Amino acid sequence: MATTTAAITLTSADLLTDALSLSATKTLHKAGSTVGLDQTTGMAKAYLTAVTQVDIFPPLIEGSIAFKGKTSWVYICNESEDETEYAVVKLSGNVIGKLYGGDFLWMPWSMAEDADADNKHADIQLTPSVATGMWFTWCCVNEGTEYPTSV
Amino acid sequence: MATTTATITLSSTDLLSDELSLNTTATLTAAGNSTGLTLASGLSRKKTGNTTEYTLFAAADYTDDKAHKVYLKNISTTAAQYFEIQVAGTVVGKIYAGDWALFPWSADSTGTNCDIDITPSAADMTLEYMLFIDE
Repeated sequence: MATTTAAITLTSADLLTDALSLSATKTLHKAGSTVGLDQTTGMAKAYLTAVTQVDIFPPLIEGSIAFKGKTSWVYICNESEDETEYAVVKLSGNVIGKLYGGDFLWMPWSMAEDADADNKHADIQLTPSVATGMWFTWCCVNEGTEYPTSV
Repeated sequence: MATTTATITLSSTDLLSDELSLNTTATLTAAGNSTGLTLASGLSRKKTGNTTEYTLFAAADYTDDKAHKVYLKNISTTAAQYFEIQVAGTVVGKIYAGDWALFPWSADSTGTNCDIDITPSAADMTLEYMLFIDE
């Protein structure tokens, strides 16, 4: 069992009248247990040069029966230094939000299949806003991965 | 304009052969510019009485297609207890006891009703949350 921790610090001296200084730290566990997550895709670094929607975890069979509902955590960072450049983040074709230059996200991913049955499974999709090239980093830390069978 | 920063640290000495030590800081800014977000819901806690689905943030209450940011934390200490998070009716994932999440939210109410809904796995659970709002 591995011990992986995710920590967040949110700070601001002027957002509110009172200073914001919030911290949270959590060891990543398998669903409903205290056993550490032991698998990961590794950290990917990608340079996307089209405004085409891409599936960022194509080796994984999203929505697979074996791992549906298991615990997966996803980190995505838009490494662009241009604050006007963004990527639309979708899950199963539904917009979650936009990651602007410098933004990151950290979210759970249950790989639950789309209720609309439109063959999007539980894909996590990125669509860059420009075709001039944008850098991204992403990784998934999880408790199980089913890979497509080789043909 | 306010300056609010979010820093994530991912670390592990034994997940891989090489140590994982990632540290990223982002300043929370409005869509398409470098102006800091000036509005927030405040850090809040919601106690859910039963295992019904609750709407935490209704997209219609916020400006569409903006750079809102959502922070969530399950403050339960019982490992098996979770909140299932849905955005636009799609299950994003489950945050178990002590887990936290931070993600962007477009509050899209024109194409898809992009509400953020939570469903607790047990009665009397408490979710801590904060919304950083883009006007």
